[in-house]
Amino acid sequence: MANILAVVEHRQGAVRDITYELLTFGRKLAEKTDGKLTGVLLGHNVDNLTDNLKKHVHRLIVADHDVFKDFNGDVYQQALADIIKKENPFLTLIGNTAFGIDFCPSLATHLGVPFTTDCIDAEIADSGIRVTRQLYDGKMDTHMKLSESPSYMLTMRSGTCPAEEGNLSAEMQKIESPITTQPSYKKFIEYIEAAVGDVDITKADVLVGVGRGIKEQANLSMVEDFAKAIGGVVACSRPIVDANWLPKDRQVGSSGKTVKPKLYIAVGISGAFQHIAGMKNADTIIAINKDSNAPIFNEADYGIVDDLFKVLPALKSKIMELKK
Amino acid sequence: MDLIVCIKRVPQTAEAEVRVDSSGKDIVKDRLTFDMNEADTYALEAAILLKEKFGGTITAISLGVADAEDTLRIALAKGADSAVRIKAEDFGELDGFKTAALLKEVIKDIKFDAIFTGCMATDDSYYQVGPVLAEMLGVPHATLVSKVEVSEEKVRVNRELEGGLIEHLEMSLPAVFAVQTGINEPRYASLIAIRRAAGKEIKILGKEDIPVETKTNSTLEELFVPPVGKRAEILTGSADEVAARTAGIIKEKGLI
Amino acid sequence: MANKKNIVVEINPEIREALVEMGAVDAYKCYQCGKCASVCPWFQVGTYEFLVFRFPLETVLGLIASSEDKDDLAREVDKIYRCVGCEACVDQCPLGVKMPHILRSARRILVDFGSYPENLKSVVQKIRNVGNPLGEPREKRADWAEEIGVKDYSEEMEILYFACCLPSYDTRLKNVAKATAFLLKRAGVSFGILGAKESCCGEAIRRVGAESVYQETARSNIGNFKESGVKKVLVSSPHCYVTFQKEYPDLGGEFDAVHSTEFFWKCIEQGKILPKKSFGKKVVYHDPCTLGRQSGIYDAPRNILGSIPDLELLEVEDFSRNLSLCCGAGSGALWIDWPKGERMADIRIKQLVDTGADVIAVACPYCLQMFEETVKAMNLNVQVMDVSEILFESLGEDEVR
Ligand SMILES: Cc1cc2nc3c(=O)[nH]c(=O)nc-3n(C[C@H](O)[C@H](O)[C@H](O)COP(=O)(O)OP(=O)(O)OC[C@H]3O[C@@H](n4cnc5c(N)ncnc54)[C@H](O)[C@@H]3O)c2cc1C
Ligand code: SF4
Ligand code: SF4
Repeated sequence: MANILAVVEHRQGAVRDITYELLTFGRKLAEKTDGKLTGVLLGHNVDNLTDNLKKHVHRLIVADHDVFKDFNGDVYQQALADIIKKENPFLTLIGNTAFGIDFCPSLATHLGVPFTTDCIDAEIADSGIRVTRQLYDGKMDTHMKLSESPSYMLTMRSGTCPAEEGNLSAEMQKIESPITTQPSYKKFIEYIEAAVGDVDITKADVLVGVGRGIKEQANLSMVEDFAKAIGGVVACSRPIVDANWLPKDRQVGSSGKTVKPKLYIAVGISGAFQHIAGMKNADTIIAINKDSNAPIFNEADYGIVDDLFKVLPALKSKIMELKK
Repeated sequence: MDLIVCIKRVPQTAEAEVRVDSSGKDIVKDRLTFDMNEADTYALEAAILLKEKFGGTITAISLGVADAEDTLRIALAKGADSAVRIKAEDFGELDGFKTAALLKEVIKDIKFDAIFTGCMATDDSYYQVGPVLAEMLGVPHATLVSKVEVSEEKVRVNRELEGGLIEHLEMSLPAVFAVQTGINEPRYASLIAIRRAAGKEIKILGKEDIPVETKTNSTLEELFVPPVGKRAEILTGSADEVAARTAGIIKEKGLI
Repeated sequence: MANKKNIVVEINPEIREALVEMGAVDAYKCYQCGKCASVCPWFQVGTYEFLVFRFPLETVLGLIASSEDKDDLAREVDKIYRCVGCEACVDQCPLGVKMPHILRSARRILVDFGSYPENLKSVVQKIRNVGNPLGEPREKRADWAEEIGVKDYSEEMEILYFACCLPSYDTRLKNVAKATAFLLKRAGVSFGILGAKESCCGEAIRRVGAESVYQETARSNIGNFKESGVKKVLVSSPHCYVTFQKEYPDLGGEFDAVHSTEFFWKCIEQGKILPKKSFGKKVVYHDPCTLGRQSGIYDAPRNILGSIPDLELLEVEDFSRNLSLCCGAGSGALWIDWPKGERMADIRIKQLVDTGADVIAVACPYCLQMFEETVKAMNLNVQVMDVSEILFESLGEDEVR
């Protein structure tokens, strides 16, 4: 019987999508062994979040305290260390996000629990845990076995287990917060919105996402022209922002914007999971990439395996024709 | 300020063909080029910028095979003062946890104000070394760091969160910062610095120097090429034909 | 004084020694006359200060790329990578100073320390990994040839055709490889290709400073050529030409390299190829630096063009033959993006177009690539063609294109 604990990720009053993915995944894993899934919600004035969460877990532990008002990895670590020691779960699941990464590795180390990060799958095997992870820019997968232990901890990559509707009705257990103040050596100050420019890519119906495949800044104008022709807006992958070719607010992906346009055309983007995370919910995805093995083709509805410098101008003129 | 930067030499696979080798547990590396892990180049630059402002020293440490010394020399040429290689060949299978444990054994004897690591390495994609190292050393840490600003009374740290949001923290030193890519502009090394670096000694530590038992958290069982997911319908033909079909699809969806 | 911190310089004999060891011996010859700077294409570009004659002095003093300031250093490294190796300076220097070699010595040291532009790193990576700068799979190297039934090379054949990476993969440039293959067939020459067994000749990365990857790549070609019994290699690119002709012998690869223009002119002279279809256009020929100045081949391409019926051959006044201006793609520059307004190809295209030509003829895949892009970017109404393509059209067949 494997009892599983999953940590609820929320920010600025809303539960983040990764949480429901984790809960769906955790519940399936637990039920396979007749175990139970327990959710842990650390927050302040979070009563409004619990109703939906209760549908996804067998039990929901809630610690309500203003120390959890905003995220501080160290506060989470201390509180969870306490809860995990008491609960003694077989497995603790955390999102492989800016939230989970900041406390899982140190928490597991503190507890002496074998752990690993950025898993895309996990199974209970020979009374231990076997995970699937991706290496080398997503070009290789690996199976890894965690060292034998009564307890494990994993961070799961977002987007690897689609969230399902919950139909449980968990009992809720309110606990005293094990911690009441932020440590003096690490204090949360504020969230800062990255500066927003004149276009808002989250509001566009058609997005043309460009990646490192466009090679040079000078080629951006070609993409801008194309976007204009199709009535869309140019968005991009992170390397384009790193190179200062486009402002940060055009970046799609886990550390950029999450977009849900009617059409997303990925141009010269390989499809790293961080990018996918930001655009996989687009209604239609068309990918143009000259590498037929590029992971973006696993996400796209339509793929064009060819040189973008040939395809884009051709596509532009066809679209102009159809518009007439 | 005395700073430490942890650096990894990794194969450059972003634009390369990657194949599994005969052991089934590693990739074929003989045709790949190697370089400093991308995030580490930003970690190094972040440390150099601090050293330029406040003085002090930078020690670069790499757990790797002999070739990692080339990468350490790059760090020396760019601004590190001394370098240490931990002989990976002495320690068997590694994961993020064990790497951190070995680094800790070396770092515990060095005086430092801050440690910089990359937020992850592109080869094994762990996000572990920085935070585990911090925990083992008993100092605070921040991951996915996009800014470290040191002033007299405090250290301002920014973390990059999802959705273009930034988490602003105040921390005290010593601390470990696992930095995100793209946060500064890594510099070139000058010819003078390269010459100087070429002559510097790199301290090499092996099993006999680190006589502790370190264990991995996990064992790699096999490597394999990812199964294809929901594959896109691939449109084939000349650029013009493909463009015509695509334009047709876009029109069907009522988008033009 | 604007630049005070440069007044007191620390001379660094150690760097001088290192540079000389890497091949900068010519630096001692220079007597600072400044002629090189006035013929360097950067002088024509005019918007970027490139005082070539300083490099020998800076080498002797050991000052190249040695600023302690991050931004200054970035500018210095950028400068070192501005030389396109056109050898206009070498041609005019009273003392024959090989400026590109001086700069390459510095590049070699920088490359060893990963201290060079990222775009070039990626090119070096791809050549090491898959044998071409485009990162295309090896198996696809012969795709262009399969389409038209070109055979694999075998020992009894007369010629190995080495098409160069760009014509092997790039859709536009494949046309050059195909035209060349058709011409060879028409001339009745027995020839084949090595396809997946060949790698980039390595010229560009050697000039970028990646000496060890160059040597590894060159040795692999030499091994494969020898194993296949290659004696004579026909090339479309003058860059492959100089590498096979002048540089492979140092690594034990003695092959007889011949450029397609030389070969086809001989075929025409011998009556094996007969240009008969009227071309009906004005053509200006651009001398590729590596074919002209560096290999002394000026007449063969002109002779070919001159033999084509109804083709009016034009010349760029003052900037023709050994005074030709570089397209700006040499020594790795094809993969560097200089700011708008600082591009050699823009200047050269203007010179070529000003002759009133309908077609710009080149004999080098780099020039072809550079000019095609520039023509597109500047929206010009002029065609860019390789000499082999023009010759092929004049045969009156239309299998190509
Ligand atoms: C913590 C973290 C957060 C991150 N967050 C984000 C994020 O929010 N968003 C994001 O995008 N990335 C993010 N990344 C980076 C991510 O891992 C990838 O590095 C990045 O998405 C790759 O961008 P790319 O696809 O443009 O480049 P590459 O992976 O280099 O892909 C370029 C693609 O272009 C193709 N190509 C090249 N030339 C041509 C041509 N002529 N025609 C057609 N195709 C061509 C190539 O085949 C290749 O597939 C993050 C990374 C980390 C560590
Ligand atoms: S032309 Fe020759 S001698 Fe004159 S400055 Fe240039 S390199 Fe020196
Ligand atoms: S080779 Fe050409 S680009 Fe380089 S310095 Fe000489 S003239 Fe200038």
